[in-house]
Amino acid sequence: MEYKFGAVLSFEDLHKGLTAESLDDFRDAVSEVVRSRALQTDEKLVQLASLAAKTQAYTPCSPEANRAIEQGILCLMGEPGRPFHFRYIAPDFARLLTHGSEFLELAPAKDLYDAVEILLTAYNYVPDHALLPVALGRIDLLLEPYIGTVPEPTARRLLASLWRLVDRLHPSGFVNANLGPQETKAGRLLLETDRDVQTVTNTTFFYDPEKTPRGFALEAVRTALELSKPYFFNYPLMRRDWGPNVTVGSCLNSMLVGGGVYTLVRLNLRRLAEESRGSVDEFVEQAIPAYAKLQVEVINSRVRYLVEDLGFLESSFLVREGVLQRDRFTAYAGVVGLAQAAQILLERDGRTDVRYGLDAESNALGQRITLRLAAELKRYPAVHCDGSNGRVAFHAQVGIQNDIGTTPGVRIPVMQEPDLYDHIEVEGRQHEALDGGVSTILVFEPTARENPEAVLNIIEGALRSGVRGLSVGCADSEYVRVTGYLVRRSDIDGARTERQHRHDTDAIVADLVANQPQFFNRRVRSV
Amino acid sequence: MTTGLINKILLQSFVDGPGNRAVYFFQGCNLRCVYCHNPSTLARCNHCGVCVSSCPTGALRLDGGRVRWDSGRCQDCEACVEACPHFSTPRVLELTEDALWERIQPRADFLAGVTASGGEATQQLDFLVSSFALVKRSSRLTTMIETNGSLAPEALSRLLPVLDAAIVDLKAFDNDVHRQLTDAGNESVKETIAALARCGKLDSVRVTVVPGFNDTREEAVETARFLRSLDPRIPLRFQRFRAHGTRGAAAGWPSPTDDTMETLCAAAREVGIATVSRSL
Repeated sequence: MEYKFGAVLSFEDLHKGLTAESLDDFRDAVSEVVRSRALQTDEKLVQLASLAAKTQAYTPCSPEANRAIEQGILCLMGEPGRPFHFRYIAPDFARLLTHGSEFLELAPAKDLYDAVEILLTAYNYVPDHALLPVALGRIDLLLEPYIGTVPEPTARRLLASLWRLVDRLHPSGFVNANLGPQETKAGRLLLETDRDVQTVTNTTFFYDPEKTPRGFALEAVRTALELSKPYFFNYPLMRRDWGPNVTVGSCLNSMLVGGGVYTLVRLNLRRLAEESRGSVDEFVEQAIPAYAKLQVEVINSRVRYLVEDLGFLESSFLVREGVLQRDRFTAYAGVVGLAQAAQILLERDGRTDVRYGLDAESNALGQRITLRLAAELKRYPAVHCDGSNGRVAFHAQVGIQNDIGTTPGVRIPVMQEPDLYDHIEVEGRQHEALDGGVSTILVFEPTARENPEAVLNIIEGALRSGVRGLSVGCADSEYVRVTGYLVRRSDIDGARTERQHRHDTDAIVADLVANQPQFFNRRVRSV
Repeated sequence: MTTGLINKILLQSFVDGPGNRAVYFFQGCNLRCVYCHNPSTLARCNHCGVCVSSCPTGALRLDGGRVRWDSGRCQDCEACVEACPHFSTPRVLELTEDALWERIQPRADFLAGVTASGGEATQQLDFLVSSFALVKRSSRLTTMIETNGSLAPEALSRLLPVLDAAIVDLKAFDNDVHRQLTDAGNESVKETIAALARCGKLDSVRVTVVPGFNDTREEAVETARFLRSLDPRIPLRFQRFRAHGTRGAAAGWPSPTDDTMETLCAAAREVGIATVSRSL
């Protein structure tokens, strides 16, 4: 069978689905999952379900769009051609806390014991990819009404349990809890207990320099210099784009509480540059608009299928009970490989001395491409995307295991990172357009721990430079921010096939260590 | 408008005061500490011209009896610094306050403040005061100095209105030991520390621990007692002497051991200094 790009499997066929010719490949793929010693049973369940879904033909698209998928220019990120669930779902847990749930047999919460129990129950009923509660919600706001119902030592005990159980029941770096921007007692305790319990569960700190008390922000910075989390997100910018009900799920993905993300289709700019002929201007003025249009077409095709054909939300108790609302969803148009695209285009133009991140010309071209793509994507109506004003959300996708030589999102590649301020500015200039989510990752020398105020200054400067999401951490930390999610060094020694990995993200990283070790060698910023 | 002789400008530092700070290092110092790890900051260039031929890129030339440095051609190899026989360097910027601020201001969003260091910043007092005044007029950045503390009280009073805080390097508490290390006494340093403490502008006192000179428990105790008498909350930091960058006899001296550093910290804490820290 011919080579397939990205995460498309050998037996998948856009037009026909599974055929007699591809049956053997399919059987082999199933067999590999069934016989794996590295996968746990629940992981086998998820993968076998995915394989079964992939026997279907893709949702209907134009020949040009299908060709773009076959060429690897558009990529479905391992989702089946005909998806059977939404990609990310962000239930409105506050509604469950205040109203309880008939389906889940839960009464409204009266105290912190109830609240924690309700959250943990609800986290088990999120019908998105792998049934993961990727958006745990703004847990400080969720729990603050109940935090005073028990003495503080009890509250600490309960919150530590919450963190621990979230990690043990939903072991994944893709699971993300949000804090801030205001300081609350719950927020303080959650930050402190997260630091005690120490898991790879992702946390996002909404930072607003006007609203977030400095002491609270510094506490978050101190935590990050130990654990490489929380992520610091630009709350004023997020609020501007999504309103006050914004939440962040998975690595860095923005969505609305009570909504989620139907699907993600990404554009591989590296592949597009490779396949394009013609000048830099032709790429920006012709290729980008043409493929942005195809990208939205594919997204609309998939969303239509999910919402109208499957009627995915119609039967769900979550909608019935008001925990999800139909008008709060969005779809992502993702982008990857900007660095390589800028490089390829300029080299083709005779400029062999350029390196994206390090010289003004390739940096300017990178920005030009990103902004043009953003503008083009927002021209077209996106069906059922009321959560994002009827348009797709533009998202910096952070890569999959097969992306060797393709840099995540719009980032500067590791090994060619400029000085600190330049790095922040080159990436930050593009963040505003990426309303679906984007981040910059910085690693400091360990002595940065002695001056968390200095790191907070860097964060503030970064936000003023337009940065939407920023990860800070120290080079010697046990916790590594790989591309968006976290991993503990001790969890990833040993190749993927030799041992089971409790977190699904650990298994991914075990592959990356061999194929893309640069993620563990980011430039260390001196103090 | 005055001009300052500036050895270097760093736009990012986490180790020169609270927060992220821009640091500008003044050329020239009034002390001659035996163990200075920045000996090329000590003296002003006397235009002897010895360094000119050492430059591989032609960034140096002798013009009208003065050595001129073309920073655009410079590749930062510091061959000229090596070649200089006078504890100086031709790689010095002569800047007005405006020109200095122009270099710092674009990064103001990332900064808590500026720190003047060196060399000895207070040796160019006019420029120091007016550069701080400009920072304060133009921004909310704070101003700090790192100083050997030898400044006369009258001069200090000129600086205080535009200064937020100072880090004072106390080379040694005992006057004789101070003389052995720096060729100068330390009365004025103690006066400066006291004056800064009285007006709440003493950020911290730093002691560079040099084996055989000020590495004794007694030194730590006396220093701590002195500071406690002013305010027990004054942070005291012990730094390890390192031979790296030094010239002459000091280049062969050992660094103090972890035990020594711990002993000194413990002694200071016992006396009642609330915040005692040490470098790694």
